[in-house]
Amino acid sequence: MNRESKIRVLIAKPGLDGHERGARVVAFGLRDEGFEVIYSGLRQTVRQIINAAIEEDVNVLGLSILSGAHLALAKKIIEGLKEEKADDILVLVGGIIPEGDIAALKEIGVAGVFTAGTSIREIADFIRAKV
Amino acid sequence: MENDRKKLKEAADNWRKTVLDPRVERFGLKESPTRFYTPLDVEDHSFLEKVGFPGEYPFTAGNNPFDFWRAYANEAARVDYRPEWGGAGQVGKYGGFGTSEDYRDYLLRMHSMGRKGGPNIAFDLVTQCGYDSDSPYAEGEVGRVGVAIDSFRDFQVIYEAYTGDLEIDKVPSNFTINAPAAVIIAMYACLAKKRGIPLEKLRGTPQNDILKEFIARGTYIFPPQPSMRLFRDTCVFCTEHMPMLNINSIGGYHIREAGATRVQDLAFSLANGIAYVEAGLEGGLDIDDFAPKITFNAFGGSMEFYHEIALQRAARRMWARMMRERFGAKNPRSMMIRQPITAHIGCSSTTLQRPLNNLARAVVGGMAAGMSGSIPGAYPPFDEPLGLGHSMEAVQLQLDASRIMIYEAKVADVVDPWAGSYFMESLTDEIEEASEAELEKIEKMGGAVAAIENGYMPSSVARSAYERQRSIENHEEFVVGVNCFTGENEIEVNINRVMEATYDPERMKTAEERQKVHLSKLKRGRNGKKVTTALADLKEKAKDERINLVPSICECVENEATLQEICDVLRDVFGEAQPIRV
Repeated sequence: MNRESKIRVLIAKPGLDGHERGARVVAFGLRDEGFEVIYSGLRQTVRQIINAAIEEDVNVLGLSILSGAHLALAKKIIEGLKEEKADDILVLVGGIIPEGDIAALKEIGVAGVFTAGTSIREIADFIRAKV
Repeated sequence: MENDRKKLKEAADNWRKTVLDPRVERFGLKESPTRFYTPLDVEDHSFLEKVGFPGEYPFTAGNNPFDFWRAYANEAARVDYRPEWGGAGQVGKYGGFGTSEDYRDYLLRMHSMGRKGGPNIAFDLVTQCGYDSDSPYAEGEVGRVGVAIDSFRDFQVIYEAYTGDLEIDKVPSNFTINAPAAVIIAMYACLAKKRGIPLEKLRGTPQNDILKEFIARGTYIFPPQPSMRLFRDTCVFCTEHMPMLNINSIGGYHIREAGATRVQDLAFSLANGIAYVEAGLEGGLDIDDFAPKITFNAFGGSMEFYHEIALQRAARRMWARMMRERFGAKNPRSMMIRQPITAHIGCSSTTLQRPLNNLARAVVGGMAAGMSGSIPGAYPPFDEPLGLGHSMEAVQLQLDASRIMIYEAKVADVVDPWAGSYFMESLTDEIEEASEAELEKIEKMGGAVAAIENGYMPSSVARSAYERQRSIENHEEFVVGVNCFTGENEIEVNINRVMEATYDPERMKTAEERQKVHLSKLKRGRNGKKVTTALADLKEKAKDERINLVPSICECVENEATLQEICDVLRDVFGEAQPIRV
């Protein structure tokens, strides 16, 4: 695979929560797996994340959410991407997600949910299979 | 003596040749999977110098021969004491949600159930980041991970639950707040003033540990240097006016949970501690006037039982030496690491997979705690990784595990049971040396603030987090039920999670709207001119680095300026912290 055709991933942290161990580890890991990875840094608004995903022309948007606001945030972001006709972007969610909420996330269009204990390889394989 | 040593060395060599090496060879190994320690491993060990007695310098063996809880352990068993309810003179369970009315009502309900500890307040992220509930940044976050505080009004509403027998000169308060700590401390002072309670009677602990926010937790507002000026101002203000209040609570825990190694945790925590001590000195205080009021939240923990005990021993010794030799402290309390717990496993050691296993893990941490100078607390409850809120059964199991360690296993009947162990003394030395070297590196950069500004500490933590992940994925480290023993013969042990309804979900849902209504009412009803004057005065004073800002912040608070208005004025002068790229 040449450089130009590398899969592009934006790892983003919506909201004010500052726990970024997971986001950073996944960003490092996917880079080592051969993806082009951009990490948004902390305290990104929904609008900032949608804009960044479009401007950076990413294939995958990974949201790291530990604050309990995953349903509301994922919904807003997916709706925003749709409005911008960017709903071909694969949206993934990682973080503290109660098992009962996983189906609801998938319902609103999240392609994959990865909670604690997931290996980077699983995420990488999932992305490669879907993109 | 020399003769003994020679004899021991010969015996050790002989043992290696005749017992160890053949066994290693027999099993086809490259090296022995175990180690055995002898006096040769701690050759220059001076017991008095390195360990000493519990309650005496260098405090390696502990801050005390026994703690308060140990003195009354038998009585506690006879009266069914529940420590998490908080008794008179202690803080209650850490919590906070919704608007100040919601949290006040929750506290009143706790009181009616006999849980009368002082407020131990969790603030929502909006407050932690210095915004008001009507800020665009606040959307969806108001009252979520803690209570929303926009102004002095909200603060006073919470304290409507604390009057009479629970007046603020009788119960202490904890504030888990960092970047806007100066504002919350000012609110506490203003509350006392309004109630006619002398400031010197106030007790409690503001977390007030901004440096670890840059390294690990991410709720910073201003750049590191002006943040330290605010720390200095609170340190001086507390020392001069509220001498019973702790100044801060330094957290290595957050740093380790963010991915730091044990040695990084210890070195970075001590580097932060040095920066806080230097800030107090720069504020003109005498070391023994304020150092006894510096506390530690906790260092991080892990499943490595021996190492966590050694870390606690090394930490106490290093801090004590530093305080005495470098800063010239004379009061023993200045030299102690005052923290509520010692060792534990750290929440990041718990697993989502087969969560009941976390009880076994927490017991290992509790044993390490009991053997390193604190109550053998089996922390956290096993359902910690399943999301916010511990179930009643998880809390019961946690409490009972600790009780079993105390009353049945009698873990806490000996202080520092490892003192003098060739292995433990050698491991303590090893951790001390490695942390010392790391600390020296930071000192050479110019200290904690410089090592944040140049990205060194945050990047090191991020790198260590990734290395740990890789070592798990490569099976260099094993985590039961996560990367090993996950075959089809393993079964999922079922759990029920019975939750005690604590926070009303309906109130949670409407908190943001209700909070915004209060805020706009406040803004309409207050004396706008007084607000503007107080904020303008704060701005002027903020520009002069020598001035203590807490009195001006009190002025703003009393005149009903909002938390964000106060922080915005300081943002104008100090600038905002930039996210750290790693």
